[in-house]
Amino acid sequence: MNLQFVVDGLLTGSMIGLGAIGVTLTYAILRFSNFAHGDFMAWGTYATLAVVGAIGAMVGKVAPLGPFSFGWPLLVALAVGCALTGLLALALDAVLFSRLRARGQSIIVVMASFGASMALRSLLEFIFTSRPTYFSRAIQIAMPVGFGIRITPDQIALLVLTAVLVAATHLLMTRTQTGRSMQAVSQNPALARVVGIDVARVVRATWMLGAALACVAGTMVGILVQIRPLMGFDMLLPMFAAAILGGIGSVPGAVLGGLIIGLAEAAAVQFVGAEWRAAVSFVILMAVLFVRPIGLFGVKER
Amino acid sequence: MSGPVLQVDGLVAGYEPGVPIVRGASIRVERGEIVVVLGPNGAGKSSFIKAIAGLVPVSAGKVLLDGTDITAVPAHRMVRMGLAFVPQTENIFPLMSVDDNLKTAGGILKSKEAAERIARMYDTFPDLRTFRRTAAGNLSGGQRQMLAVARALIVEPKLLVLDEPSAGLSPKLVSMVFSMLSDIRKAGVTILLVEQNARAALAIGDRAYVLVEGREAHEGVASELWNDPVVAELYLGQRPQPSTGGAA
Repeated sequence: MNLQFVVDGLLTGSMIGLGAIGVTLTYAILRFSNFAHGDFMAWGTYATLAVVGAIGAMVGKVAPLGPFSFGWPLLVALAVGCALTGLLALALDAVLFSRLRARGQSIIVVMASFGASMALRSLLEFIFTSRPTYFSRAIQIAMPVGFGIRITPDQIALLVLTAVLVAATHLLMTRTQTGRSMQAVSQNPALARVVGIDVARVVRATWMLGAALACVAGTMVGILVQIRPLMGFDMLLPMFAAAILGGIGSVPGAVLGGLIIGLAEAAAVQFVGAEWRAAVSFVILMAVLFVRPIGLFGVKER
Repeated sequence: MSGPVLQVDGLVAGYEPGVPIVRGASIRVERGEIVVVLGPNGAGKSSFIKAIAGLVPVSAGKVLLDGTDITAVPAHRMVRMGLAFVPQTENIFPLMSVDDNLKTAGGILKSKEAAERIARMYDTFPDLRTFRRTAAGNLSGGQRQMLAVARALIVEPKLLVLDEPSAGLSPKLVSMVFSMLSDIRKAGVTILLVEQNARAALAIGDRAYVLVEGREAHEGVASELWNDPVVAELYLGQRPQPSTGGAA
């Protein structure tokens, strides 16, 4: 049996999982489904691309790092891109979401995020056109690693990056005061205020974290596949399916959910047919909602 | 600094503008006292105490904590000002461990200070140490109330404010909670509490106010208030039943 689908699945799953962290945190802490999250991903990727271009214009061509397709400018640009995506999320919250949230009806906020999603996507098409673009057109040679699996250096680097980011996010959530404050607001916002937590600060931290991880996920897609204005929107359903499969509010759950969906998609492509790929998230989402609506790591509300 | 710990003057407050629930209430809490606010259902007791804690918008009047005006201080700054509030229900974070609940409350302190005070809380409430890794939502009713109070005491407040600490507890746990509050006062903490269970509250209180229609209608020494015919009249319109039990 060809096990290549495992690597493909883990890679897709990493991107879905990193994106799903933002979805799950926004849902748990801000209490709404943010349909614009996929577009944060796309904006983050284009922001990173623009910064790479700006660095290129300033210092000229930079040689790639070791066996990878990218050089240091991409790493710097990714950090800047994460910050910019965070600012985009904060700006959107300030002008749109926070005002609607204050009225207390989450469905209105959800609808607003739909609108924001369309606007953000159209703006990207307007600025960058809908033609796909790439970080690098260099071709990487995939190395055979046994069991019929081939993997490129970029892919290895991105899997490692995902593992590091997931571990760091999990530690942030469980071991730091910021993380405990985020958990507190998600469990009981009124009590959080009573114990001295500035909820507005927690909301900002949530946006920054979710948006930054979306930017990383988008940039991964950009490195491994291609960059398009629709790239984030196309991942919206898998990200939501992953967040719900993992259990809303759970960071490890979102990542595990992402990996499961990524693997299931890759397996479907290999064993059933590529045209079924898009159906996988939908089927898993439905199955979870019917069988275990609280997800793998979810906890029942009292 | 020998003035009252808390002075509330003519407080008007309510969730919606123009619809006050608290209509000009005034009370005073001296250092080291336990002051009880009683009143019939719908008298605005809970809104009154929440307005003091910054959780219900105040439209007129003043709240002074140790001489500092805290009327407009937002709820999340109150613990820093020295006022710790224990809500009536949902006063713990159910999915967090006991330890994380306390750490979250200690977030406004330096981490070393917080660790010391958490250790002290475990000495005061050994039950909590036993269950420190347990999700707080799995604690019994009495343990939850213990955790809620320990959480409030971590910041070493000038004033501990409790909204109906006996709500939903069995008679045995009610007496446990009130003797715990009595001990906390002996340790030097000033306490203000709102209660339905007048008998139990008056037994540990120094002074009490009766709130009727959003303002204080009567004030007196706790032990005497119980037998005061005016209070009996105001409070539920009749003398509370002499038997012990849950809600009076």
